[in-house]
Amino acid sequence: MSDWSKVTRPIPVPNEWTKPFWDAAKRGVLALQRCQACRRFQHPPYATCVSCMAIDLAFEPVSGTGAIYSYTIMYHAGDKRFAPAVPYASIIVELDDAPGALLAANLLDAPYTEAKVGRRVEVIFEPLNDDITLPQFRLAGGAN
Amino acid sequence: MWEHRCKVAVSGVGFSRVTRSADIPLAAHALEAVKGAVEDSGLALADVDGLATYPELPATGHAVIDGVTIVSVNCMMAMLKLPNLAWHVQVETVNIGGAVQQAVNALLAGVCKYAVVWRAMHNPKGTYQNLPGTHAQGATQFTAPYGFGGPGQHMAVAYTRWLERHGQSREKMATLAVTQRRHSHRNPHAYFHKVELTREDYLSSRMVAYPFCLYDCDIPVQGAVAIVLTTADRARDLRPRPAYIAGYGQRLAFEVAGRIGSLSSYMDGGRSSSRLTWERSGFSPRDVDVAQIYDGFSASVIYGLESYGFCKEGEALDFIQDGRIELDGELPLNTFGGSLSTGRIHGLWHIIEGALQASGRAGERQVKDVDVSFVGASAPIVQGTTFIFVREPY
Repeated sequence: MSDWSKVTRPIPVPNEWTKPFWDAAKRGVLALQRCQACRRFQHPPYATCVSCMAIDLAFEPVSGTGAIYSYTIMYHAGDKRFAPAVPYASIIVELDDAPGALLAANLLDAPYTEAKVGRRVEVIFEPLNDDITLPQFRLAGGAN
Repeated sequence: MWEHRCKVAVSGVGFSRVTRSADIPLAAHALEAVKGAVEDSGLALADVDGLATYPELPATGHAVIDGVTIVSVNCMMAMLKLPNLAWHVQVETVNIGGAVQQAVNALLAGVCKYAVVWRAMHNPKGTYQNLPGTHAQGATQFTAPYGFGGPGQHMAVAYTRWLERHGQSREKMATLAVTQRRHSHRNPHAYFHKVELTREDYLSSRMVAYPFCLYDCDIPVQGAVAIVLTTADRARDLRPRPAYIAGYGQRLAFEVAGRIGSLSSYMDGGRSSSRLTWERSGFSPRDVDVAQIYDGFSASVIYGLESYGFCKEGEALDFIQDGRIELDGELPLNTFGGSLSTGRIHGLWHIIEGALQASGRAGERQVKDVDVSFVGASAPIVQGTTFIFVREPY
């Protein structure tokens, strides 16, 4: 299993479009940008709805369960801060509530070999500091 | 069909020395390539009246220094001091293929007569991608904290999706890497010109970002290539046989920055670009005699073959087997070695090879009886462009 304890992750810098995402994550809630006109979720947040051109967008909680859309196993630490964790699984998750909105994450609490397309995952939260908490994923019902 | 098909042609082509990293300023490479292309055409530098490039530095976290890490239009103007300069452009979208297309448009509009397009690529000493510092801004705030660094990982997740969705195995990609390397043995300008690569080398090479091993990635180099474009009637008066541009397209599907891993984005981008290219030229994939498809990462070729319509979705790794992409195969592919073997000069080398094959000037790697030559000059997503070159106007 990848050892994340020695990895120093880059800290996300919220901006006016993304702040509600990080505010929610800090409260242990996964919230995505949703178009108030066509009701589609989108991620990453964008200035307008990329489906219907509406500009009325708001962040709404989602269930946090979904499936691995895809993944890569990192063997070469392009970012040296991640070297202690290689090989590790970086995954792309498609949430049940938000088809088409793809979230990047790591597969935590499981060997990287468990990353497979279609495998069920659920959100967990990894605090980076007092301000930023990172949504992450583990196998659904798979860890303590 | 496009009323302007075959009205513009590629004439001369030029190459600089390709080195592993920077030992002379990049401007010297660009100058060597541009002078080579002009000389190949039989023109004098004073004849050049149009300039176009895409100067971006793909190595992130390095200083952009004109003449050293990029070569802008301004830098080229300073070096060449063209007395008859009439038009220039530096494109932002769709990579170097966009610069070529702008030059085509300028020639069709009659605002210049002989346009030179170059692509100069810098390889810094030390780490190629200097990833975000302690903080991740903008679109990277959703990717960098999870260890998604360079473009390789972004493309790797789409490739994993493709492999698992279609029940394919990455080992089949060895055929592409090995065949292209063999092609490059007939290309004296290629970085890996005399370096063998066997199937065993590919299969045993170290993994970088699964499913990509080392030989799925092009090698960063320092170098430049260039072309001269002119109108068809002028091209016929020049030394080289012209390669006529029968049609082009650019990707029209949008992508949201920071949204990674989407296989459909590659496919939508490639389809949008190639559809216009087929319509404008009047050809279809079945008519193509030779193809160059951008291969910064091997999987780009797979997305290209499928989204451009050469084979069905999910079949590209089977399509490239059994000799089909050899020089005497059904669809000779990346006949100059591709970026995997020439080194990372982006798509202008693919465009050059497409033109050389159409005009019968590809030397010992010339494919027999080429009438229609296809080029996909960048990864189909975001930066994709496509071209068709023909031997004879029609």
